[in-house]
Amino acid sequence: MLKVTGLTKSFGKLVAVNNLSFTVNEKERVAIIGPNGAGKTTTFNLITGLLKPDKGTIEFYGKDITRLKPYQICRAGIGRTFQIVRSFPNFTVFEHVLVGAISRYGPRAQVDLLKRQAEDLIQKLGLSSKRNTLVRNLTIVDKKRVELATALALKPKLLLLDELMAGLNPAEIDECIELLKKINEEDGITLIVVEHIMRAVMKLCNHIIVMHYGKKIAEGTPMEISTNRDVIEAYLGEGVAYA
Amino acid sequence: MIDTLVLTQLLNGAILGLIYGLMAIGLTMIWSVTDLPDFSQGGIYIISAYVAYWTITLLNAPYFLALLIGALAGILLSVSFERVVYNRLRPSGVLSCLLAAIALFFLLENIANALWTPKAKIMSVPETEVTLNLFGIVTSYHRIIIFITSVILFIFIHLFIKYTKIGMAIRAVAEDREIAALMGIDTSKVYIATWAFGGALTSVAAILISPLYAVWPGMGTLPLLKALVVVILGGFGSIIGALVGGLILGLIETFGAIYVSAAYQHGFAFIILLLTLSLRPRGLFGRR
Amino acid sequence: MANYKVVRSLPTIIILIILITLPLYASSYVVFVVAIALLYAMVAAGYDVLLGYTGQLSFCQGAFYGIGAYLSAILTVNYGWSFWLAMPTSVLFVGLVSAIIGYPALRLRGAYFAVTTFFLAHFVYLLFLNEVTLTGGPLGFRGIRPPESIGPLSFESMENGYLLILFSFIFIYILLRKFVNSNVGLILKSIEQDDILADSIGINTAAYKLLSFVISATVAGFAGTMFAHFFRLLHPTTFSWFLSEMVVIITLVGGVGTLIGPVLGAGIVTFILEFLRFAPEIRYIGWAIALIAILMFEPKGLIGLIKRVGRRWKYA
Repeated sequence: MLKVTGLTKSFGKLVAVNNLSFTVNEKERVAIIGPNGAGKTTTFNLITGLLKPDKGTIEFYGKDITRLKPYQICRAGIGRTFQIVRSFPNFTVFEHVLVGAISRYGPRAQVDLLKRQAEDLIQKLGLSSKRNTLVRNLTIVDKKRVELATALALKPKLLLLDELMAGLNPAEIDECIELLKKINEEDGITLIVVEHIMRAVMKLCNHIIVMHYGKKIAEGTPMEISTNRDVIEAYLGEGVAYA
Repeated sequence: MIDTLVLTQLLNGAILGLIYGLMAIGLTMIWSVTDLPDFSQGGIYIISAYVAYWTITLLNAPYFLALLIGALAGILLSVSFERVVYNRLRPSGVLSCLLAAIALFFLLENIANALWTPKAKIMSVPETEVTLNLFGIVTSYHRIIIFITSVILFIFIHLFIKYTKIGMAIRAVAEDREIAALMGIDTSKVYIATWAFGGALTSVAAILISPLYAVWPGMGTLPLLKALVVVILGGFGSIIGALVGGLILGLIETFGAIYVSAAYQHGFAFIILLLTLSLRPRGLFGRR
Repeated sequence: MANYKVVRSLPTIIILIILITLPLYASSYVVFVVAIALLYAMVAAGYDVLLGYTGQLSFCQGAFYGIGAYLSAILTVNYGWSFWLAMPTSVLFVGLVSAIIGYPALRLRGAYFAVTTFFLAHFVYLLFLNEVTLTGGPLGFRGIRPPESIGPLSFESMENGYLLILFSFIFIYILLRKFVNSNVGLILKSIEQDDILADSIGINTAAYKLLSFVISATVAGFAGTMFAHFFRLLHPTTFSWFLSEMVVIITLVGGVGTLIGPVLGAGIVTFILEFLRFAPEIRYIGWAIALIAILMFEPKGLIGLIKRVGRRWKYA
């Protein structure tokens, strides 16, 4: 469903993403891993339209989305979360998720429909007790939940998660893995995650892409990747969390 | 032979441009170091001109002394605004600081209005009103002084920023505040230095041009606007840009007033602004 | 529960009653000042939609106010239009102009946008000043007639003109309230808090920013037409940069993002300015100092202050 071909992006002399190509099929759970600075977040930004690539194309269900604006790409069905969690701090949890629903169904949609959508998601992400709390007063973990809930309110077909599990303790990581599995299997949402927590990646994903210095250096199943020499070399000397 | 009238206007335009450039350097420094387009410089422009005016009329002081004292007033105001107001508002975000800057501009403008009445005052500097005739160009001693002083200041600032410790610290903070702090640079000292520079430059610009145009409470709005355009035209954070941009604006305004429209001469800055923002938003020498 | 709601709206009801019956017991001077205050309040409330709910600082409210005023004046005086035709036309025109200007301008961020609007306001002011054949320039535009009577209701008298303004204000305010509390309002608030996130969740932030810009401009233009036919004399200096500055200040002092705050701000500012009319130099200075004090100590403006005092009162 997502086809990235020859994607290249430079910032001055620094080539952040170098001729990157890969394909993601429906219902897959893909991970993009690599040392810091490998270009993973830049790739996300290119896919979601926050950055324009110098070269290359991005196709979504056959449609060229390379030059679309971020809000158009979201409407096309690609959602995302951010590496450093973003939120609307002065909204309550309910309002936060609601605005996502409003964006999905339009401001003139039925009030009950919108409310139901928001309430369902709040419950699904375990935020019911905090429904009326201001988002800025939440813990980082809960803020991530809100960010995810809002992204889900858009009913995306593809979800890009940028280091969603950073800062979570092992129990929360497991919870998160289960939640993502559920979203993928029950709601049919394809996932691409950027993660540094290898344990989670191995458990959750069946398709792994490894980036280093902007290039794809390996791609395959968890088994293949963990025995790949280039991958091991790239990670040697870099801190990798074996959570 | 080039028409001497054109040459005269060329000189006038260049001088106007140098004045804009001086003020723009101060603004661009402040903006790039502290993220704040400092509107209060417009007020400082006004007050320092009046302080110089007072120095000349009340104390019968020579022009250069008035220039110095006025500049000192500018520095004092600038730095105290930073210490008392902007420092406190910084955590609330740039918008609060911007609004405070506007309020301070407003305040200074009205203080000037109250202390000196809305009537324009002429800052007469008889020593420099001597007209000169250089190669057929009619100009005055004073304009030459403006020219020379500005050029000297530009060179001084350029060298200062490039080679002194404080200058480098300022550049570092302008590049990346967090990293500069991590490297042990005292950002609050840098802020004070930057604001001192800004205040000094604005005052000097104001006092240099005052004998040519008169001193009145509303004199700050247009120069501030023009200087902001020069900052954007020249490129955010670029001193050379401020100089070049200033000259461009000064020349376009001067010739535009003669050949296109005198009534709308202030509109040229607006057109330049629009062109810059739509064609080359980072300005001539800007980096971002 | 019902009791509580009545109690809360009691101050509003009382104030409304006072305002509606004002001409009966107040002097012409007071009625006049209140009318001007209401016009400011209208512009400020419209402006709050832009500043408070989308976070865009703009300085061209004065320009839109002026365009509305001058256009309506020109259409009625020079071309003999009826006010009831000229007014909507002017409002529509202001809306159109703001859309055309806003479309490219809103792509600019923060300070660049503010500076551009600053310039725009000044440019429009120059237009008013220099296009003497259209606007009368520095000599002013005189002879503007009040709105034509609707049936037995005449607007000749100042009192009736005041009532027209009052009811227009109430009407506009209610509309704005509904707008701000609607789903669209929630979208605007999200843009104000994080426009990149808003973009990422499918909100066309550029379109919504333009919408709020046009709305605030249109409200200002409408207030301008009201002003022209109430004051009946137009002069370019009324629409200088100073007016835009005042609107920003009023909105801030009252409390950005609350809609009612700027309305209160307008009232208080106008009254203070009138009181200090006898000490013309001091009024603006005291005013500017108050503004800075507010920014430093109570950034949420008057509304923030009221809420804080109210909270302490509750727990006292």
